[in-house]
Amino acid sequence: MKRLSTLLVCAVLVMVASGCGYNTMQQNEEAVKAAWGDVEAAYQRRNDLIPNLVEVVKAYAKHERETLQAVTEARGKVGSIQAGGGALNDPKAFSQFQEAQASMSSALSRLLVVVEQYPDLKANQNFRDLQVQLEGTENRINVARTRFNKAVQEFNTSIRIFPNSLTNSLILHLTPKEAFKAEAGAAKAPQVKF
Amino acid sequence: MSSEFGVQRQATRITGKSCLRARSKHVRLLVVFSVLLFSFFGPCVFPGSRLLAPDSELSFLPEAHAADVPPLKGYVNDYGDMMSSTTKSRLEAELKAFEQTDSTQLVILTVPSLEGMPIEDYSIRVAEAWKIGQKGRDNGIILVVAAKEKRMRIEVGRGLEGRLTDLTAGRIIDLVIKPRFKRGDFNGGFIAGTAALIDAVKGEFTAEQAGPAAKTDSLSPIFTLLLFAGIGLLMLGSISRILGGVAGALGLPAIAYLTVGPSVLILVLLGLLGFVMGIFLPSLFSGAGRGRGGGIFFPGGGSLGTGGGDFGGGFDSGSDFGGGGDFGGGGASGDW
Repeated sequence: MKRLSTLLVCAVLVMVASGCGYNTMQQNEEAVKAAWGDVEAAYQRRNDLIPNLVEVVKAYAKHERETLQAVTEARGKVGSIQAGGGALNDPKAFSQFQEAQASMSSALSRLLVVVEQYPDLKANQNFRDLQVQLEGTENRINVARTRFNKAVQEFNTSIRIFPNSLTNSLILHLTPKEAFKAEAGAAKAPQVKF
Repeated sequence: MSSEFGVQRQATRITGKSCLRARSKHVRLLVVFSVLLFSFFGPCVFPGSRLLAPDSELSFLPEAHAADVPPLKGYVNDYGDMMSSTTKSRLEAELKAFEQTDSTQLVILTVPSLEGMPIEDYSIRVAEAWKIGQKGRDNGIILVVAAKEKRMRIEVGRGLEGRLTDLTAGRIIDLVIKPRFKRGDFNGGFIAGTAALIDAVKGEFTAEQAGPAAKTDSLSPIFTLLLFAGIGLLMLGSISRILGGVAGALGLPAIAYLTVGPSVLILVLLGLLGFVMGIFLPSLFSGAGRGRGGGIFFPGGGSLGTGGGDFGGGFDSGSDFGGGGDFGGGGASGDW
């Protein structure tokens, strides 16, 4: 019996040492946070491009006040939500974030459709540069979102599978994280083509 | 009358005692089995779980039914057959020299068709599969050209995004490569485009800065697995030799299968070894009496370690080409 208890202590020690998935879950959560940082950075990058874009378009397309205003408003909304933060741990804030970014995307693509009617604007080097940057940013957003979803999936799996789930419910109390859902206009970067 | 009662009382006492004993045995068995369960299945989902699902990158998602990523052959991978052999060897030499001075890796890929996939999606898959650039510096560039769709893209590693901005990449496509491609001068387009890309990122990194690639510092998961299995084996073996033998015969090949995945013959041999170990390891312990300690684990672990010596063989081990550079979707695309 004594030998048995010694062995048991050994077993417990080893289990504690390797953590019953404790470390894995922590690592995965950090990975999700890092991926989220990339997502935010990519969206922020897009947001930073908007004022310039609006400025350039305004110079050529004065009559498109409504479209321009929609973009500016969407930008303001996105900004206020991003400033709030905490979207990663709060499903409600997360869906708000996603919604705001989606409305930003659709306002932008409407603007770019409108621009089609202004050949002078399209020929403007400044505008073309912005357009390339916008394209690049949309692509980064796309990549960052995909990677974020993958990290979330990994994390969510790791807190559910067996010994980890035990550790989680006893010690860590981590909750599953939300992933981006594919939606019209947000899953695929709007095609910015001229 | 009273003697009858006495007998009865004694009988109840006896049954109570044996019941207690039986229960304690049950508890013991339960504990042992639960520990065994942990020891065999626990480690599978501990840090070692990477082995079970080898780095399934974004690039190998099931929906990736379109164009596959071809193997990385060298600096110039002309699967689309767009270049002459002289251009190829010239670019190979240029790019090799550039990597030697600047450590930045520039790789060209041409494909016959994207098979319906947007070039941005395809090129990020290529970037994730090839991992061009050094780990930590992320100094890789991939020029992807699709012959049939007449699309091209410059995929820029994170470390070079400052120099080779989306804008610069877009201008190189628009002003340098596109006009030549339009004329049908593919050789000229690749040569001029490569030169422009090299000029754009020259000096961002130099070869001297290049340190040894960062190594992963995680302990071998085999060690954890063996530790667990060893304890489980000892516990079972201390209950019954046969049980220990069976556990060893099953557990050892199971571990080998999960971590290394050797042939059937080796699995069978390991099973035999496990059987013998399961029978004799516990007796070694009980024979040694007080003197037992952690030391006994290691001979067992050592003999297994040689069996599993060559596992791993990761995607990018040993090679300086495609050393783990990270891409974040930077760059620009265009057509001609």
